[in-house]
Amino acid sequence: MNCEQARTQFVDYWRGTLEDAGGEFRDHLAFCERCRAEAEDLKDMWSTLGTLPEQDPSLSLRGRFYDSLRNWRQREAERRQPFAWMRHPAFQAAAAMAILVLGIGAGFLVRGRDSSEISQLRGEVYNMRQLVALSLLQQQNASDRLRGVNYTYRVEPDDPQVLSALLTTINHDPSVNVRLAAVDALRKFTDGPVGRRALVQALGKQNSPLVQIAILDQIVELRERSAASAIQLLESGQDVNPDVKQHAQWALRQLQ
Amino acid sequence: MQAVPEGDLGALAILFERHHRPLFNYFVHINGNRDLSEDLVQDVFFRMLKYRQTYQPERPFTAWMYQIARNANADSAGKRKLEVGLGDKEFAVVNVADESLKRKQEISLLKKAMARLPLDKRELLVLSRFQNLKYEEIASILGCDVGAVKVRVYRAVRALSAIYFELSGEKTA
Repeated sequence: MNCEQARTQFVDYWRGTLEDAGGEFRDHLAFCERCRAEAEDLKDMWSTLGTLPEQDPSLSLRGRFYDSLRNWRQREAERRQPFAWMRHPAFQAAAAMAILVLGIGAGFLVRGRDSSEISQLRGEVYNMRQLVALSLLQQQNASDRLRGVNYTYRVEPDDPQVLSALLTTINHDPSVNVRLAAVDALRKFTDGPVGRRALVQALGKQNSPLVQIAILDQIVELRERSAASAIQLLESGQDVNPDVKQHAQWALRQLQ
Repeated sequence: MQAVPEGDLGALAILFERHHRPLFNYFVHINGNRDLSEDLVQDVFFRMLKYRQTYQPERPFTAWMYQIARNANADSAGKRKLEVGLGDKEFAVVNVADESLKRKQEISLLKKAMARLPLDKRELLVLSRFQNLKYEEIASILGCDVGAVKVRVYRAVRALSAIYFELSGEKTA
C-alpha cells in the first residue's frame, strides 16, 4: 500500500470501520511517518468536530408545522374550486416579476455607460491580478503556488494566459495539493471548449488517485461526453488505483 | 412514506417527530442560521408531501430526505446569493452559555472554520460526522460511489484542519 492508497482509508480509520485492509493500512502507518502524522492530526480534527454540541429547534417549530399542515389541507381543498388559479402565488409572482423586469430595463436605459477613467482603472487592477497569479504559479514553494492558484479565481474566465498556467500546474506540478487546487480552479474556465478539452486531456496525464477522482467528478458535472474514451482508457489501464477504476466506471455510466 | 395518502397526514406527523431535530441540525451546520433552518425543516416536510411519488422504497428513506433537504437549501441559497461561503456572523449565533471559556473559544473557532469551508465540503462533513450517515447513504444522496465519498471526506477534513489552524494562529504540518 502506498501513501495515496492509505489516504483513501483515513476516514475508515477515524470512524473505526477499517475492514480487511486494516492490517495493510496499519503496516503502512507503522513505517510511513508522514502518513502517520497526517492521520493522527486529522483524527484529532475529526474528534474535535464530533464534540460540536447539537442544537434544539425552538419550541414554536412544532406548532408552526402543524398549523402549516392544516393550511395545506385547506389550500388543497380550495385548489379544486373553479378560478382558483387567479389566487395562486405563481400567478401573482409572475405579475410582480413582469413589473420588476420593466423597472430594471428602465434603470439600465437611464444609467448610461461607465466613464472611461473608471474603465481604465479597472483594466489596470485586472492586469495586476493576472500578473500576481502568473508569478505565484512559478514559485518554488508549494504554498506560494497554492496562493497563485487561489489568485486565478480573480481573473476573467476567458484569460488564455492564466488558463495555460493552470493547465501546466495540473499536468506538471510536483505537489498533489497544488494540482488538486488547480483542478478546482479550472472549474471557472470550463464554460468554454478550450478549458473542457484541456480538462479531459489532463485526465490521462495524472497518476494521483485523488486528482484523477477530482477530474472525473468535474467531467461528470459538466456532462462532457467527449471524455468517454479517455475515461475508458483510464478504467482499463494497468497500475490504476481500484477506487479510481470504480469511479471511472461510475463516471461512464453517468455520461451515457 | 408510502403511508402518506391523500388527505390523511398522520404518517407525515410521525416522520416529522422522528426526523425534524436531525434535519434542523443539518441545516444549522450548513447555513448557520437558526430561523432560516427552522423554515427549511418545514419546507422539507412539505416537499416530501408534494413529491411523494418520487420516493423509491428500495432506497434508504434518509437518503431521499437529505436529497430533498439539499435541494431546499440550494434553492434558499440561490435566493439569498449565499451558495459560496457564509459570513462568520451567521455562525456566531451559538448557544454555548453553559460551556467553559476555552471550550467556548474552541467551538467558536470550529464554527468559523466550518463557515469558511466551501459548501460541498461542509455538507460532506455534516452528513458523515454530525448526521452519522453510512457511506452508502451519502453516496446515494450525492449520486456517486462509496470510494469517492471516502476520498472527498478526507479532503474536506484536511481543508477544515488547514483553515482551523490558520484561524487559531498555529502552523499546519
